[in-house]
Amino acid sequence: MKMEDMPLSGPDNTKLEALVHDIYSELVDDACLGLCFEVHRAVKQGFFFLDETDQESMKEFEIVDQPGVDIFGQVYNQWKNKECECPNCKRLIAASRFAPHLEKCLGMGRNSSRIANRRLASNNNMSKSESDQEDNDDLNDNDWSYGAEKKGELGGSIGSEPYKYNYNTGISYESLGPDEVRSLLSTQCGVISEHTKKMCTRSQRCPQHTDEQRRAVRVFLLGPSAPSLPDADTVAESDSFDIPDGQALMSRLQWEDSPDISPTDSASSKASANHSDSRKPKKKKRTSLALNCGGGGGGVGAGGGGGSSLTGGCSSSSSSQSNLSVSSKKKRPKLSAPSISSIYDDLN
Amino acid sequence: MSKDSRMRATINQKLTEMGERDRLKELLRAKLTECGWKDQMKAHCKEVIKEKGLEHVTVEDLVVEITPKGRALVPDSVKKELLHRIRAFLSQHAT
Repeated sequence: MKMEDMPLSGPDNTKLEALVHDIYSELVDDACLGLCFEVHRAVKQGFFFLDETDQESMKEFEIVDQPGVDIFGQVYNQWKNKECECPNCKRLIAASRFAPHLEKCLGMGRNSSRIANRRLASNNNMSKSESDQEDNDDLNDNDWSYGAEKKGELGGSIGSEPYKYNYNTGISYESLGPDEVRSLLSTQCGVISEHTKKMCTRSQRCPQHTDEQRRAVRVFLLGPSAPSLPDADTVAESDSFDIPDGQALMSRLQWEDSPDISPTDSASSKASANHSDSRKPKKKKRTSLALNCGGGGGGVGAGGGGGSSLTGGCSSSSSSQSNLSVSSKKKRPKLSAPSISSIYDDLN
Repeated sequence: MSKDSRMRATINQKLTEMGERDRLKELLRAKLTECGWKDQMKAHCKEVIKEKGLEHVTVEDLVVEITPKGRALVPDSVKKELLHRIRAFLSQHAT
């Protein structure tokens, strides 16, 4: 009602109005006095001037009001376009992607071990299902997806075991006789890594090594009259990123029983190492696995080995180990403990 | 005049007894803080203190300096609202 806003009507108007104003003044004075007491107390207690320091600091932290800059004077997307060089693989990586890249590149961090274990598990599946490498490309696709289905079961249990990730990438040619070498070289890439002095166990079309290298190795191992390579295709070397891991896993499966992976090792073993970082498997490009158990190597102790390196050269140990791996592959979560103990029994 | 003063006394008494005075006080304080009056007054206090010297400032000094300025700086909206409320109270409770 508008009447309330107007001064009170009637003869006592003025008096009432005066009263109203008096009451109002009293209230305002009260507020002022309250403020004075507050300020005076603050002064005497010493905290009144706390928000003012010296002139220099005041100037330093003044509010900045320029375009392109926030009120502290910092530029917003300063690090957006910066690139960092990875100390491991020497690539230029965007700043925001640098940390995850390092994780995969160095093989440390939770994700990289998980992915490695998953790959290992699928490689296990692949190696067990076929040993003929010529049709590997087609069959690999099926096995890879099969392995992927199994990954949850295997990856979880494998990941629970603490690993240090190193792996060896091939065979030592010194320990093999000429016939063995010839049979090996007819099916495998065989290029000898400078760092580890081992032969590459991947297929003839392994993208890490060129045909020149393969030819050179054959000449070196078998003499100048070495048979020519069955496959003369030149393979692009800057291929999928998971090749080193696949190669490592594959060789682990066959020739080495140490269940360790490290992408740094694989990087060193590659002749034309450009990248060893990302562990994302490109499923169609799985190279063929040379899985000749008859070559004299041990079977698979991968995953269940718990870190021990078994140099089983005899077929009995290989078969026992392959049994172990077969059984452990199927029932990994339950049998990991017993399989570890049994492998140690073999050692002892 | 005494009737007048008696009426005043009665009203004041009612104001206090019914808690309206305290409510009005709180309302005024809140509004003044909200509209920045308090910060303005504090800044003025700082000047006065710097003038008089930190050690020797007294409550009286501050009151004398602050009150007239404070009265003047109250925003019109706040003043109007308070007056409105006081009038409402009076019209309800005046004899």
